Amino acid sequence: MKPLMLQGHERSITQIKYNREGDLLFSCSKDLKPNVWWSLNGERLGTYNGHQGAVWSLDVDWSTSKMITGSGDMTTKIWDVEFGKVLASIPAQSSVRTTNFSYSGNQAAYTTDKAMGQNCELFIIDVRTADSSLSHQDPVLRVPILQSKVTSMLWGALDETIITGHENGHISLYDVRNGKQINSVNDHTNSINDMQLNKDGTMFVTASKDTSAKLFDSESLLCLKTYKTERPVNSAAISPILDHIVVGGGQDAMEVTTTSSRAGKFDSRFFHLIYEEEFARLKGHFGPINSLAFHPDGKSYASGGEDGFVRVQVFDNSYFEYMFE
Amino acid sequence: MAKKRNEEYDSGDEYQEEPNFDDPEGFVDDINDEDLLGDLLKQKPCETDGVECVVVVDNIPKVGPTRQEKLKTVIFKLFSTFGDIVSSFYPLDEEQNTKGYAFLEYKSPEKAEEAVKALNNHRLDKNHTFAVNLFIDFQKYENIPEKWEPPTPQPYKVQNDLYNFLIEPDAYDQYCIAAETSPNSVQVQFWQNSLPEPTELETRKSFTDTFVKWSPLGTYIVTFHKQGVVIWGGSNYQKINKFPHPGTQFVDFSPCENYVVTYAPTPAGQKIIIWDIRTGQEKRSFVSDGQTSMSMFRWSHDDKYVARMGENAIFVYETPKFFLHELKSISIPGIRSFSWSPTDNVIAYWVGGQTEVPARVTIMDIPKKKDIRNKNLFNVADCKIHWQKSGDYLCVKVDRFSKSKKDKKDADVKFLGTFYNFEIFHMREKDIPVDSVEIKELILAFSWEPVNNKFAIVHGEPNNANVSFYEVKKGQKPALVKKLEKKACTHLFWSPRGQFIVLGNLTMGTFEFIDTNNDFIVMSSADHFRASDVEWDPTGRYVVTCVSSWKIKEDTGYNLYTFQGRILKRNLLKNFVQYLWRPRPASLLNDAQQKDIKKNLKKYYAQFENKDRMRLTRASKELLEKRSQLREQFMEYRNKRIAEWQDQKSRRLQLRNHVDTDSLETDDVEEEIVEFLIKEEITVLE
Repeated sequence: MKPLMLQGHERSITQIKYNREGDLLFSCSKDLKPNVWWSLNGERLGTYNGHQGAVWSLDVDWSTSKMITGSGDMTTKIWDVEFGKVLASIPAQSSVRTTNFSYSGNQAAYTTDKAMGQNCELFIIDVRTADSSLSHQDPVLRVPILQSKVTSMLWGALDETIITGHENGHISLYDVRNGKQINSVNDHTNSINDMQLNKDGTMFVTASKDTSAKLFDSESLLCLKTYKTERPVNSAAISPILDHIVVGGGQDAMEVTTTSSRAGKFDSRFFHLIYEEEFARLKGHFGPINSLAFHPDGKSYASGGEDGFVRVQVFDNSYFEYMFE
Repeated sequence: MAKKRNEEYDSGDEYQEEPNFDDPEGFVDDINDEDLLGDLLKQKPCETDGVECVVVVDNIPKVGPTRQEKLKTVIFKLFSTFGDIVSSFYPLDEEQNTKGYAFLEYKSPEKAEEAVKALNNHRLDKNHTFAVNLFIDFQKYENIPEKWEPPTPQPYKVQNDLYNFLIEPDAYDQYCIAAETSPNSVQVQFWQNSLPEPTELETRKSFTDTFVKWSPLGTYIVTFHKQGVVIWGGSNYQKINKFPHPGTQFVDFSPCENYVVTYAPTPAGQKIIIWDIRTGQEKRSFVSDGQTSMSMFRWSHDDKYVARMGENAIFVYETPKFFLHELKSISIPGIRSFSWSPTDNVIAYWVGGQTEVPARVTIMDIPKKKDIRNKNLFNVADCKIHWQKSGDYLCVKVDRFSKSKKDKKDADVKFLGTFYNFEIFHMREKDIPVDSVEIKELILAFSWEPVNNKFAIVHGEPNNANVSFYEVKKGQKPALVKKLEKKACTHLFWSPRGQFIVLGNLTMGTFEFIDTNNDFIVMSSADHFRASDVEWDPTGRYVVTCVSSWKIKEDTGYNLYTFQGRILKRNLLKNFVQYLWRPRPASLLNDAQQKDIKKNLKKYYAQFENKDRMRLTRASKELLEKRSQLREQFMEYRNKRIAEWQDQKSRRLQLRNHVDTDSLETDDVEEEIVEFLIKEEITVLE
């Protein structure tokens, strides 16, 4: 089927996410306005106006009532999804790189960049009553991260742990109750660009600049599988229904202009989760892919690229009929 | 303290008695000088000292007193390159002429030996070839015992089988992959192109400094180092021989692998050494100040001759002595280029035209030095000589012009209205008839089919070129058999077995595989972005396209295709520089035997087909086994984790207000009807 092209952003996409039911697709980009789209037909539902800088990350809670965004304007904002209003704006000391709601949606976590003399820090806030009072409340937990800066972050299952991916390729597990580091592994050799949980939250897939994606157990941080490519990987996602993963990336955005798109390898690439074998590729973007997401029903997926487009691709029947022996 | 002791000593009242050094009475001295100071005695000078440092040089020119000084300086210069000459002696006869030999003494015997090795048989000029010997050799040969003793048999040393690679039962070809792991250190891997997956034979780290090269029959592989070049061969790629020639940048093997030529630039010009491969001996060396193409040595097909072009002459040297053939060069005024026939001792060369004299292509027989065929050509700007591999035909590509203009400023001649002729010489026919094919467009590439008698020409604009195929038959003019139009093609790569050809566009990296015996059908096209090389395997079964990091820094690696253009393998390799198939010597079967095989192909076909099927099922079985093993391992892990996850269900429910979000389907779906105001229209009713 022909993919849906979602054109609404003026600059490169930084992150895309479906809500839990998959009827809505949220996207944020280096322009100031996160967007929300109907995933079925690609129509834009609205924009979230209020940020003064590039929006690096977003997350929607399980009930699709609140959205959290982190931005280069050094704020974390919590939005009312339905009305597009800012419920709370929390100032930070440097730009906010990652934001995520916990499983229950009662808490949220965000990390800030190591910049302007500030350390990289992990914050956990209580968002049960999200209103302007949040901006001057102390966070529930504040963990300075003195090693390499956090480039991606996830909540573990059951609101107990936080998994951080770092610029130097390390992956660490933190206890939310006391902010202690429980475990740390360094299977990757370069910056972790993205981490996404599988459907039940027991595994997650990483995307790294070291040109590979890896599958980890989300409790033991044991590396289970490796998916190799020849370009930096910016994002990877696990299919909720099949043993497939999709990885995307491409040449560094810095080098794109010096080569033709054919050499850039901006394809979405599908790997078998268990056999680590690549079985399909999808062309489309004319810049690196920055973010990927599977629809929760597993029947379509979306990709957001450096070219500013979000593409929603519904799988043909042949995708479901294709079987590995 | 010391003082005190001295005082004590002085004040001592009893004198110490001096020991007696005399021999006791009746002592017999039974130690001889040899035992006592043997090491010192060895250094005692004697009359014959330094004899082993003396060399005798025979066959030096006999000259009178006036020219002796010059002779001495010439010889001194020549011999002092191996070490300092301590003294020299030139015996003179009654008329004070030199007697034609001389004695030179070096500082050490090693230097003398070196000089003998290098300068024995050195040619000073036409009439004088040195015979250099060690002085002590005379003694040695004088003292040959009267009685002959049979030599003691040496224990048998197993020789390295250089043709080991040819006895592979499935006739899998070998190839090597070179990757520059760090500057001036190239790792080389040897692989066997076995089915279904290639097998690695050997990996050598820092095998060579720059690149590697196979010898023409695949027996040796040569590596380059600071000190010179090394050749390797045999079952484990052992060192076979080395050729010390510092700074060697390029080597060239003779077609029968008897000799190797090394080229190294020096400030004085290109130094060229011809070596004997088996003995490692330097046969002859040259220093040329000309361009590289001028100084290139070209071998005749049977290693009998090697030729070099000079100003207005060809120098033909005879192996194994490497003297000029008949001791003189062949004078050809205005020679521009020459080439040996790949199968006969025949040279084709061309001579540029002057204002009145036309240009000329000549075919000359060696060693008779007789012109077999001359062809005059008018208005010639340039010529290229292309021999067909079987030597049946020769094609000379002639760039011609309708007008020429001399630039006043520089001596460059400008040509206007260029067009191209292909002069085809039928070598096997009486008097060598010549046909010509004229093409008006720019020629991008020309190539003979390695076997059979077709040739292909690419002409036109690089992005919109035409590829024409001609066929040459005995006693007939070349006939155009096919013209493929509008091809983005810049290079031609014939299969070594003929019939199949790859049209390549090396700027874009696109390739087309064509079957020329089957209506020139395009079997398939391939795409390898920025590929710079195309390598056919020696049997014509596989094609490889490569992106080498010599040219491009990203995505280096190679693609492997069948001869029909079906992709078999894409391989990205960091710092990859070279992919080289190991060449094979010509088949030992004669034409009749080969024909016989072709006739009975059906019989063999079934056998091979069967073998292939067996291999494939074995491979896919292995893959399936591997997969099922992986699946089992993974499912074991997954089931454990899913069980844990299900145990946590109550806690999950607790976290999300007792809403079960584990699956997407929910029981209580409320249908909500939302009404939008899409458009408001006011219609005025009359």
